[in-house]
Amino acid sequence: MRVVIAEDQVLLREGLARLFVDGGHEVVATVGDGEALVEFVHRETPDLVVVDIRMPPTYTDEGVLAARTIKDRHPGVGVLVLSQHIETTHAVDLVGRAGFGYMLKDRVLEVEEFLATASRVAAGGSALDPTVVQTLVDVTSGSPLDRLTERERSVLALMGEGMTNTGIAQRLVLSERTVEAHVRQVLLKLDIPESGEGNRRVLAVLAHLRTVHTWS
Amino acid sequence: MVPLRFRPVPGLLLALTVVAELAAVPLSWGLEPAWDTLLLAVSSAVTTAAGALILSRHPRHVIGWLLIVQGLVAALAGDLAQGWGLRAATQGWPVGPPAEFVATGSWLPTAPLAVAVLLLFPTGNLLYRRWSLVLGLSVIGALMAEPGWVLNPEAGSEYVAGHNPYAVDWLPTDELFVGGFTIVAVSLLAGLLAVVIRFRTSSPVEQLQLKWFALASGALAVGLPLAGALWWVTPVVHVIPALVITIWPIAICVAILHYRLYDVDLVISRTFTYATLTVLLAAVYAGAVVVLGAVTGRESVWVTAGATLLAAAVFRLAHRRVQDVVDRRFRRQRHDALELVIGFVDDLRHDRAEPEQVVDSIRAAMRNPGLELRFVLLPDGPPVDERGRPVADADPDRERVPVRRGGMTLGEVVWSPGSDTDRALLPSVLDAASIAIEMARLRVELRQRLVEVDESRARIAAVADDERRRLERDLHDGAQQRLVSIGLALRHAQHELAGHPEAARRTLDGAVVEISAAIEELRALAHGLRPALLQAGLGPALRELASRSPVPVVVSATSDRFPPDVEAAAYFVACEGLTNAVKHARADQVRVDVAHRDSTLVVSVADDGVGGAGVGHGTGLTGLSDRVAARGGQFLIVSVRGRGTTLRAELPCVS
Repeated sequence: MRVVIAEDQVLLREGLARLFVDGGHEVVATVGDGEALVEFVHRETPDLVVVDIRMPPTYTDEGVLAARTIKDRHPGVGVLVLSQHIETTHAVDLVGRAGFGYMLKDRVLEVEEFLATASRVAAGGSALDPTVVQTLVDVTSGSPLDRLTERERSVLALMGEGMTNTGIAQRLVLSERTVEAHVRQVLLKLDIPESGEGNRRVLAVLAHLRTVHTWS
Repeated sequence: MVPLRFRPVPGLLLALTVVAELAAVPLSWGLEPAWDTLLLAVSSAVTTAAGALILSRHPRHVIGWLLIVQGLVAALAGDLAQGWGLRAATQGWPVGPPAEFVATGSWLPTAPLAVAVLLLFPTGNLLYRRWSLVLGLSVIGALMAEPGWVLNPEAGSEYVAGHNPYAVDWLPTDELFVGGFTIVAVSLLAGLLAVVIRFRTSSPVEQLQLKWFALASGALAVGLPLAGALWWVTPVVHVIPALVITIWPIAICVAILHYRLYDVDLVISRTFTYATLTVLLAAVYAGAVVVLGAVTGRESVWVTAGATLLAAAVFRLAHRRVQDVVDRRFRRQRHDALELVIGFVDDLRHDRAEPEQVVDSIRAAMRNPGLELRFVLLPDGPPVDERGRPVADADPDRERVPVRRGGMTLGEVVWSPGSDTDRALLPSVLDAASIAIEMARLRVELRQRLVEVDESRARIAAVADDERRRLERDLHDGAQQRLVSIGLALRHAQHELAGHPEAARRTLDGAVVEISAAIEELRALAHGLRPALLQAGLGPALRELASRSPVPVVVSATSDRFPPDVEAAAYFVACEGLTNAVKHARADQVRVDVAHRDSTLVVSVADDGVGGAGVGHGTGLTGLSDRVAARGGQFLIVSVRGRGTTLRAELPCVS
């Protein structure tokens, strides 16, 4: 796939580019700020954009702004936002859209898994960092998540990360039919309407988790 | 004050009174006791003059007219007619007995006049319409008693001839007189009762007026019976009726026109105190004379001397007690006010009240709800209220009274006094409340200090927060990023090992360089938190700091060691002081001294620069002041323009 990398730190930028090249992908450009990124995507329409959340000039959330602009103008381009630390607000805000991912930077060191996630996002899937999902799935007493079994909770977490039933089955070393049964149980217990695969399911799951944790 | 000018009619009547008395005095002269002639003449003139004075200021005041009528009746019907009667009898002049007849009957009509004054004082209006019945009653009584007296054979003593030439036997004169006189007496008592009722319901000003009136009425009430009782004992008391009768109109006049002039409460109190003491001492003296005389068996100088000594001793002992008792009775406001404040201080002592309530107590004692109490925390500092908030400048129309205790100004009272009596009372009340005021002031001061401490603590917390955020960011953006890129490089090298081992070597070399950079970055970060050299002690750390300064710095530091946080605080004081000296002071030389005194670490930074620095002028020094205060230390800046700046921090340390 054709990848664009937006990262202000040169070393990291080069490292990321090598990672994608080593994995057999084409890095069409590397840029240092959000404006250049938006401009480039407008011209070239790559398959995937990997963007650091903090970039010049203010080093706060330029990456998120650029990601939002890109998703608004080119819904077909996958956007993977990388962050130094967890900012749940931004993450959950954007992850409902198709072809969007939000990951911690250190995930890049798990090369294969990272590249798989990147491909999934480029293909229109969703990806949410497990740490983010974990904070959502962590059970506070009295929450509806109490009703889930241990296994069902791990299935829910992987659903939140944006995985398909197949992916979940591989990760948990289960048969796909077992996973399907767990997913049905989860949706039933949490009273989440059945809405098929992909980002719509992630959206539903996250929407539910969001009401469980009362943050906006 | 408006000059006094009599109005035409009252002035004319006053002149008439004076002329009548001027005629009466020579007529009576030598035919009756001289004091009778003179004092009663003065009394009539004073009464009419009092009425005329009242009318000059209040032209429609009915009491003015009542007094004029009273003085006029006394002068014409009393003194002039009597004088003519007396002189006619000796000289054989005509119409002697008719004049004596008029004089005989002249005193009874003054009774309804007196009742009217009692009912109408001080406003000139009846408090209740029903009171007119009392007036009517006194008139009826006087009308009954008058014929019963003037036509009575018993009235013969009033005539030079020794018998009443107008006596009749076809009227029950005794019964008429006794009945009528009783009615008059009852109406007089009712009049006095009316004064009491009016006092209870009236305003403070009217109460003051009524007190003057009560003073004179009291003199009348005591003087007349006393004179009656002692009439035959000593001729001295014969002057008393004339005196008290003269005092009455004067008191009425003062009460209506000049009630603010004197402290009536004080006059009443002193009058009663000395009257009581006089009676007491007379009794002691008389008793002592009798007892000593009986014991020694004869009257001698020794008896008199002994009795005098005893009376003097009793005076010393009794004076205070009598004054106390009288104060309680007659200087009610003062007594009540002081009692209230003293009660409050007592409540304070027993934890039943808060010192801040002292202002309510003073307001209640002074009966002045608008009174304000302001505290002064620093000499010449701005006044603050009981919560320590600065107050607006006092209304210039209101009076300001400083509150002092032991030579120190605690604050001030701002108020609008109702009268001179209030004005005179306030210092005593403040004096009684001074300990409560001082407590309240100290608590205000304490609270203000605590607020300052809270603010300083909040600033420290904010600074710490900023520091933490900066650190977090430095870590995320620096070391963390570097580690991730090193990880990526290692992954890349892994990939390269398969086909290009030579390239993998170069990548690994690059990664090692990156690791060195990350270590350097982390070290710099840690140095910002706590200078590494501090581990060797303040001296080495400060000398290292001095060596990097563009301005020559002389360091003299104790080699003693202190707790790490104390050393760090001292180090930052020195840092900030040096930065300040270099950046702002334009100094040529700086001295840094660190000394260990008792259980205090004293660090001072002195430069020879331009001076004029202060906490609040730059946030750096405020932050430093907070940092020192957070460790319970003292921070001081001495900075005079042109004379350099010295920062000095004293940090308590247990070592």
